[in-house]
Amino acid sequence: METLSLLWDGFAVAALPINLLLIVVGCFAGTLIGALPGLGPVNGVAILIPLTFAFGLDATSSLILLSAVYYGCMYGGRISAILLNIPGDEPAIMTTLDGYPMAKQGQAADALAISGVASFIGATLATIGLTLFAPMLAKAAIYFGPADYFALYVMAFATIGGITGADPRKTLLAALLGLMLGTVGLDPSTGVARYTFGSFNLYDGFDPIVALVGLFAISEILFFLEEKAHGGSMVPPGRVFPRLTRVKEGLGASLRGSLIGFIAGILPGAGASLGAVMSYSFEKRISDKKGTFGHGDPRGVAAPEAGNNAASGGALIPMLTLGVPGSGTTAVMLAMLISLNIQPGPLLFERSPDLVWGLVAALYLANFTLLILNLPLIGMFTRVLGLPAWGLMPLVVAISYLGVYAITHAAFDLLIMVGFGILGYVLRKLDFSLVPIVLGLLLGMDMENNLRRALSISGGDFTVLVQSPIALFIYALTAAFLALSLWLARRGVVAPLHAEQAED
Amino acid sequence: MSDRLAGFAFFLLATGYVWLSAGYTTSFGDPLGPAIFPRIIGIPAILLSLSLVIWPRHNATWAGPAGLMRQGVAVAILLAYALLLEPVGFVPMTFIAVLGLGLLMGAPPLPGLLVAVVAAPGLYLLFDRLMGLPLPLLGTWIS
Repeated sequence: METLSLLWDGFAVAALPINLLLIVVGCFAGTLIGALPGLGPVNGVAILIPLTFAFGLDATSSLILLSAVYYGCMYGGRISAILLNIPGDEPAIMTTLDGYPMAKQGQAADALAISGVASFIGATLATIGLTLFAPMLAKAAIYFGPADYFALYVMAFATIGGITGADPRKTLLAALLGLMLGTVGLDPSTGVARYTFGSFNLYDGFDPIVALVGLFAISEILFFLEEKAHGGSMVPPGRVFPRLTRVKEGLGASLRGSLIGFIAGILPGAGASLGAVMSYSFEKRISDKKGTFGHGDPRGVAAPEAGNNAASGGALIPMLTLGVPGSGTTAVMLAMLISLNIQPGPLLFERSPDLVWGLVAALYLANFTLLILNLPLIGMFTRVLGLPAWGLMPLVVAISYLGVYAITHAAFDLLIMVGFGILGYVLRKLDFSLVPIVLGLLLGMDMENNLRRALSISGGDFTVLVQSPIALFIYALTAAFLALSLWLARRGVVAPLHAEQAED
Repeated sequence: MSDRLAGFAFFLLATGYVWLSAGYTTSFGDPLGPAIFPRIIGIPAILLSLSLVIWPRHNATWAGPAGLMRQGVAVAILLAYALLLEPVGFVPMTFIAVLGLGLLMGAPPLPGLLVAVVAAPGLYLLFDRLMGLPLPLLGTWIS
């Protein structure tokens, strides 16, 4: 009951004219970014963050905008997956498997409608799940001490690599690189300048926002330049209006996909791609009696779309309640909150109920907006796919530059951004994932501070780290996650995702 | 091979990182001090990078000569854009960057030029005039 009244207050925040406007703008921009091949949620959100700062939006409005973009991308990714056989973003890869064959059979309108409805079901169920579970987790997390937070960070880094399936040594190295980059600058508790090499520009350390825009937006440009020719041929849409009977065929798969995706989203570091992969594999196993999967089965379109949308809602839970993001995009949002001096975590629910519940309410509104944008107005977005990339990608660069310049007013930061862009490109080519770097850069200072606090309490005795029952529980959970991911990998449930693709 | 090189680069980085941490000392403050945390993260990084050198698994395929050329030119444009934004100004530099990157991405010359001609003043008007983000219209060298 308490939750309902808080949610009601949240709707009062979300219904402010500025927030309603941001929801519509965010949903529109998100669907567009998701639909364009090469740009995914993490790039889109990274590019928009400097702009939210520059416009002086408050934390609630910024978070509403970015979450609307995040949800919108999950809807939009399917459009190019179905029409072009090119996933608009990584979570939409699974949608190409059955969506493109359906389009080739002249059922593009059906496939778009099925996946649109599946997206709505997945995202709405996940938002309901967020409403119910996030406050419970936040209540439990109030009892966390410094040693427990340290354990939580260890879990975040350990699980992010274990589950994605790439070489776990590289994921750990990437996380450690992020932590190293995070120590650059003045040490907050002793005032010693570390790794600044005498440059005053580095005394504040690397601004995570600048690093993010470089890692995700600039590196994407370099990727894009590898090949000269891009794009596929668009399938003619066939019939204009979807048939309701086809949409119904996907309902069961949507519900099952939502549940699996939601759980995948909550796991730290797993994200929407894993949600889509797991939902599709599961649906294929239980429903593919006649071998129609892969040849245009509506259930094969519904399951991964419900899965990736549900995962994006689930990924917000650990980000808001524990301050440990569940996916690349939520890591980027965390960077924004930290830069606005808002520390996500259990206290967020006590101190800023407006922000938390305003966001949750906005997500419900965003879902309805997206349903309208993605069913009746879908034609608008399919036309955008005809636009050439050479016209759009340079604009992404210009917007990144003006956004970063507007918040820092320093050409030095633009150079840092380009540096991170090159670093991000090289690391992705070498099959290192970028999300752990972001996590390390973001959480490094907090991790060190919590370690310091724990050791100050114990007077320098390191055993304090394993004395709290909560910390022990978290370490046990970490071990269980790692065991589970090894088991999943061995059974071949999770196809290894490659770091070269844009992350979610 | 690329894993070996990556491991070696990380090894150099992490070793240097740990080595430099020895210089960070204070006589006051907390029990941890400024040097311990860098070692806690640096030493595992050394071990992991060595394991990559000894047991490599992945081999990266880089872009062909034409692709590398395009990437090199793009990096030059990006660096020039960053360095010259203040001296030359947002509108001229955005024009150059959008045109250059567009051509690299395979834009036909005339439409590419058209996009740059519209985008450079367009973005300035949209973000500076309409939405109030201060951007340098023309830089210190020109105005």
